[in-house]
Amino acid sequence: MVFAATGEPTTLLPAVTTAAIERDVFDQIFLKLAEIGRDGGTFGDSGFTPELARSWEWTDPLTLTFHLDPRARWQDGPPVTAADVAFTFDAYTDSAVGSDDRTTLIEHIASVTASDSLTVVFKFRDRYPEMFYDATYHMRILPAHLLRDVPRATWQTAAFGRAPVGAGPYRFVSWTPGQSIELAADSTYFLGRPHLRRLIWRVAGNLNNAVTMVLAGEADAVEVLVTPANIAKAKADTALAIYPYAGSTYTFVRFNLRANGDRSKPHPVLADPQTRRALVLAADRPQMVQAVFGGYAKVPPGPMPQVWSWLWKTKLTPTPPDSTAAARLIHGRHLSFHLAVPSTSPTRVQYAQLLQEQYRRLGIELVIDQVDNPTLQQLLESGKFDATLESFVTDPTPSSSVPALWGRGGPTNYGQYSNEKFDALVRTASSSATQEAAQTAWEAAFAALAQDPPGIMLYALDNFAAVNRRVTDVHIQPDSWWGLVRTWRIPPNQLTERDRAGR
Amino acid sequence: MRAWLLRRVAAGIAIVFAAVSLTFVAIHLAPGQPFLPPDERPMAPEVVARLRRNYGLDRPLPEQYLRYFVQLARGELGESFSQRRPVAQAIADAVPNTLLLTTTALAIDFTLGILIGLFQAARARRRSDVALANVTLFFYSLPTFWLALVLQLVFALWLGWFPTGGVTESALYGSLPLLGRLADRLRHLVLPALTLGLVGAGGTARFQRAALLEALGHEYVRTARAKGLAERAVLVRHAWRDALLPVISLAGVALPFLLTGAVLIETVFSWPGLGKLAADAISARDYPLVLATTLLATCAVVAGSFIADVLTAVADPRVRLTA
Repeated sequence: MVFAATGEPTTLLPAVTTAAIERDVFDQIFLKLAEIGRDGGTFGDSGFTPELARSWEWTDPLTLTFHLDPRARWQDGPPVTAADVAFTFDAYTDSAVGSDDRTTLIEHIASVTASDSLTVVFKFRDRYPEMFYDATYHMRILPAHLLRDVPRATWQTAAFGRAPVGAGPYRFVSWTPGQSIELAADSTYFLGRPHLRRLIWRVAGNLNNAVTMVLAGEADAVEVLVTPANIAKAKADTALAIYPYAGSTYTFVRFNLRANGDRSKPHPVLADPQTRRALVLAADRPQMVQAVFGGYAKVPPGPMPQVWSWLWKTKLTPTPPDSTAAARLIHGRHLSFHLAVPSTSPTRVQYAQLLQEQYRRLGIELVIDQVDNPTLQQLLESGKFDATLESFVTDPTPSSSVPALWGRGGPTNYGQYSNEKFDALVRTASSSATQEAAQTAWEAAFAALAQDPPGIMLYALDNFAAVNRRVTDVHIQPDSWWGLVRTWRIPPNQLTERDRAGR
Repeated sequence: MRAWLLRRVAAGIAIVFAAVSLTFVAIHLAPGQPFLPPDERPMAPEVVARLRRNYGLDRPLPEQYLRYFVQLARGELGESFSQRRPVAQAIADAVPNTLLLTTTALAIDFTLGILIGLFQAARARRRSDVALANVTLFFYSLPTFWLALVLQLVFALWLGWFPTGGVTESALYGSLPLLGRLADRLRHLVLPALTLGLVGAGGTARFQRAALLEALGHEYVRTARAKGLAERAVLVRHAWRDALLPVISLAGVALPFLLTGAVLIETVFSWPGLGKLAADAISARDYPLVLATTLLATCAVVAGSFIADVLTAVADPRVRLTA
């Protein structure tokens, strides 16, 4: 089975990386204690399926005890123990390692200790509905016997990251830089040998090359098609089956509420809530989604991707375009501001141009600055911008990314947006005991955001994967696209020369 | 000769030092910062700050500059920010791929270009010359990436004769016999090498034709003809040797291309060579990798110019390598 990869991993050591291409590969090699269910639910432990943990129980409201599967072994032989889990938590929360999940973990989990070789105890600092999710989702359990002696400050470049050893369904075989990464099914995998014998990621380098490889039959699958043109080409190819799934990305214009380059002063244009509301009303988002994606995306009523499907069932609706109301709010003032757009994303550049044209009709001057991603990131961190057009890949829950991006003091709230009512509602939503209560609170929070917009929520993508038709039992996991590859099959009569190679 | 050699080596070292220094300053002052994952998920600011500390990017620029050259003097190129491995390893992986592609492309370029130029000069101003002049001009004026996309569309996607990209068929390569592996590499090489070779040959042919026509006007050619030598012998043995000199200079200019690679072609054909490595390094603000590729490219330019001078002296007895 050959996957066309749009990029190449930097390392396959899960604690130090967050990129999708890395996750695609290491999700086959490493396991979590339990995996999120196919419904993507993050409340309580319902829907979660056992992986390294065979079972679990709540000893008290703040103590969660996992019992590891005694059959689980590292691919180099030793059994997976509770000490490995404690070691993993220690590594993920060590600032020297630099895990992106560190903040979430130390905020909620006080300790992880091994009470015997197969029992591990999580002690939480507070009680909230997503405790189980936080205990299991962020960490892939790592082999302490192989990593204990590797200095934590060198994990980013550790040799282990280029030849990892896990306890998952596939073993690492080889990594030819710039070309491919190969994994082989582990015949001793304790949850049953996967059906596909070999997994190969071919480095295509970018989306266009990846799609071309799949269309030419040189690769069997590509995880995202993104553009309507790619979707149309893949649909027209009789060898390919298209699998739609909820996207985990949303794209937005972020306003800087502080002056460009001087955070001590308010922004002369965008600090005013009425002006920001006018800018939202002046943007015909449904028309833009139709023009660019031809219906393969939706206008989100808040900062939300499609993967948070339960939030889309609320009564929230996006603010409809209303150029008359926008003109009224502007009061004939001449508005002018810059929008920084990543030049590497033709879709976002196209969106910026559409927005520019819509604003021009109302006398608003939008100056588009095309910059590359490292420059965009620097502009954001230094506050030297008026507005940016960004995309964000989320977790399965809004509890972490929404306050981080839009909450007061959030680490990536680069626009310095501040809305006390919204912050309070987010806190309520994150601590709601039931999904229904959380849904109500998020609905109210996003309604507050719509009244005092920090930006313009432009689109949330429908994702489409293209997979060769000879592969059956294909399920795409929205939060980890190839997470269920272990269950895929190729019937014996459909095997090609590529599948049989190396037998 | 020794003085010439010493002067060239000293000049070469100065050029390399200046190029690397300028690149160092330029890349550090350019907007943007390293350590960004490829998808839309910026790293936490604290993680970026720690990485910057680990790689010494929090130090003043002059100190970083000195540290870099001390490290370079020890023969170390540093760690790649984007690949999280030694730069030397990344370069070592890319060099063979680039050499394979560029030597093949240059072989196609010069073989085809010289032969076409020779053929045109021998039939100057006849129909075949005019037709070939138009064809070579057409290829010479084509943007390489456009030709690459067309060849990819026709020969890979429509006809399926060649793969769309990559260096080998990863899933099969390991299980192929030696000849099979060679054939597999060749199949992957055809389209990118042909793209580069055809565009280059267009220019080389025009260059060779012009040089040969100029040589044919010289008196020694008239003398050779007057002596009753066959036209083929006049053309190949006398005029062509003279007309090769500018082509050798052209080859000297082309030599650095052997190591700098071809960014666009490597990108279109997913060819993991030095050009793509350098372009990706710039996009990722991977300072050590950018500097290493600059160092390599500058060394290639200096060496190319040196080799061209030596070859010219060998081919033309009138040229003396003196200080």
